Amino acid sequence: MIPIPAFLVVAGILFGIGAIGFLVRRNVIVALMSIELMLNAVNLTFVAFNRVHAEAHTGQVFAFFNIAVAAAEAAVGLAIVLSFFRLRRTVRSDAGDLLKN
Amino acid sequence: MSLWFALSPLLILSAGGLLLMLADAFSEKHTDLALGAFMTFASAGIFAVALWIMGGVPAEVAKLVAPWIVLDKFTLFFMATLCLGGALSSLLAGGYLPEHGLDRGEFYALMILSAIGGVLLVAAGDFLALFIGLETMSIGVYAMTSFRRTNPRSAEGGMKYYLLGSFAAAIMLYGFALMYGATGTTALAGIRDALASGSFGYARDPSRLTTVIIAMAMILVGLAFKISAVPFHMWTPDAYQGAPTPATAFMSVVVKAAAVATAMRVLLVAFGDKFSSSWGAGWPPVVAGLAVATMVVANLIAIRQENVKRMLAYSSIAHAGYLLIGLVAAWGHGDPSASRNGKAAILFYLLQYTVTQAGAFGALILCGSKGKEAVSYEDLAGLGRRNPAVALPFTLFLLSLAGIPPMSGFFGKLFIFQSAIEGGFTWLAVIGLLNSVLAAFYYLRVLVFLYMKEPQPGAVEAVPMKSGYVTAAMVLASALVLYFGLMPGRSLDMAISAAQSLM
Amino acid sequence: MSAYVPMFLLFAVAATLVAAFFLLSTYMGPRNKGEPEHNTPYECGSESSGGRHIRLSAKFYLTAILFVVFDIEGVFLYPWAVKFRSLGLAGLVEMLGFLAVLVVGLVYVWKKGALEWEK
Repeated sequence: MIPIPAFLVVAGILFGIGAIGFLVRRNVIVALMSIELMLNAVNLTFVAFNRVHAEAHTGQVFAFFNIAVAAAEAAVGLAIVLSFFRLRRTVRSDAGDLLKN
Repeated sequence: MSLWFALSPLLILSAGGLLLMLADAFSEKHTDLALGAFMTFASAGIFAVALWIMGGVPAEVAKLVAPWIVLDKFTLFFMATLCLGGALSSLLAGGYLPEHGLDRGEFYALMILSAIGGVLLVAAGDFLALFIGLETMSIGVYAMTSFRRTNPRSAEGGMKYYLLGSFAAAIMLYGFALMYGATGTTALAGIRDALASGSFGYARDPSRLTTVIIAMAMILVGLAFKISAVPFHMWTPDAYQGAPTPATAFMSVVVKAAAVATAMRVLLVAFGDKFSSSWGAGWPPVVAGLAVATMVVANLIAIRQENVKRMLAYSSIAHAGYLLIGLVAAWGHGDPSASRNGKAAILFYLLQYTVTQAGAFGALILCGSKGKEAVSYEDLAGLGRRNPAVALPFTLFLLSLAGIPPMSGFFGKLFIFQSAIEGGFTWLAVIGLLNSVLAAFYYLRVLVFLYMKEPQPGAVEAVPMKSGYVTAAMVLASALVLYFGLMPGRSLDMAISAAQSLM
Repeated sequence: MSAYVPMFLLFAVAATLVAAFFLLSTYMGPRNKGEPEHNTPYECGSESSGGRHIRLSAKFYLTAILFVVFDIEGVFLYPWAVKFRSLGLAGLVEMLGFLAVLVVGLVYVWKKGALEWEK
């Protein structure tokens, strides 16, 4: 039996990698992947905590919904990035410099 | 009362959204879809009002969907407000989209589906329902923001909004997960009970305490982002400027109201226990700080804007600051009367803000010409003489946004500041007051351009567009602004009654 | 913990093998670094041409996006199927409602022509 804190630590590390990746990388596709990583870290946390509070399976159900929502979000995000790419010929987020104060 | 009737606003919106999707796919002409969207919003709103008039949803019906969906008067009030905002936005879209060559029917379906998310968000009594509502709302709005497919600004605004929005959602979600781990439940009321109970050992177990505090901070970040409070506001001006104007109106009205409502529920219900809501160690000082930062920063930047749409975006951030004052007052050191008045002040503010802001964006649409939005102050020069029918309602909305009596915005601000003083936050009320004086400057600047300036010689004069839909929205919004301003009593009573049901 | 011993052994063997192959090819392989032919992606066969990034048609993305969205909704069928008996008729009706919404989405996509590869 792997102890539950182990899962939580892995999830925390994954979340951190995702968050740092999002903040550091300028490629929008990589940013999308970083967000997916963060969401999956959340799923892992939910499922791990579900073992602590096993009576209602709230954590597992939450993870299911997260997966579905993340897919919808990724689909819309990819569509937006595609339309940005079509107009600007790049997927670098610092190319978005038309809107400024 | 059957559950079907109790859920009728949500069901009507869902059915209307799906039908509009099919209608868009099977029909060639799309102009009348705006009417369909308006009717959907209107009938959902009417059903919400009908439920209210019948005394709200009875407890034995409401408990069938509890704790995931809470059907109290607070929810009904916001359902009606969101439907009002949606109805106005869909009318604006009916005029704007054909004029700007964007006449694709998806927009209306997206708007309704996104509004369903908003309604679910305000009704959510559980993190799961809250998250689904939040994402349903946000995903629709992301798509609406980048709806101008040939415009790089629209794509850029949508991309920034999407990236930062989903980043904030992920942070908030991690907060939910940690909160679930610490308390064993995702229901808002359950979390409050768990945090408040002594036997839970929350105060005694330091690791659990840390988890709860980290979770609370992460959830606060997510909420602040959706409300667009400074320093989580960076996406707002870009998204507002890039989006087609009806989508901007929808964002600043429906999304904002839903986000504030859910912040009220989360902070006042789930984190309403003694410890989480103490001035020394809880969320109220954080929210007060956010309120001050939001008002000051947004107003200072708004003054420097040369683009009217962007100015309105910053003004919308500043209004979020006033609402956050209300949120601190709604906590009110636990004093029930101050707390009730604070909540009611937020509700009234949002109701009048919905019509005012949607009206202001509608007037901005009418000022633009075919295929080209009015963007700079210069574009508005001389419109008061050339087109008084547009300038007059615009004036009305700007005065209301500035909080000048007898417009509705005056009472909105008055109630917020009053409740802040009553709750013992005179300093917040004073900062808010100074900020509204500052804000009046940039609202009046628009009026100066409308009435006292003439276009530069040789400048292209905009030919203001004409649209029955937008005109209808203008008339409706102006009437409501005057109604809320001249006779605020009735709607304020409703707001108080809705505020009392929030627990 | 003992249940995991074979797994760790497998990992260890795999890692050793990989490391061994790398080291063997580095030390025992012929060294002629000067030849430009060795730096091409494929030493034999036809010359590679064009840029590194092949532009794929946007249709692939559209199809992939639609696939992901519809595919992932299936996730909700599994818990429902597990609990099918205890949920009873109400569960069946609710799932049909859920599927009806998906069908509306499918009809929409179909009618909009997003499923047609050649247009």
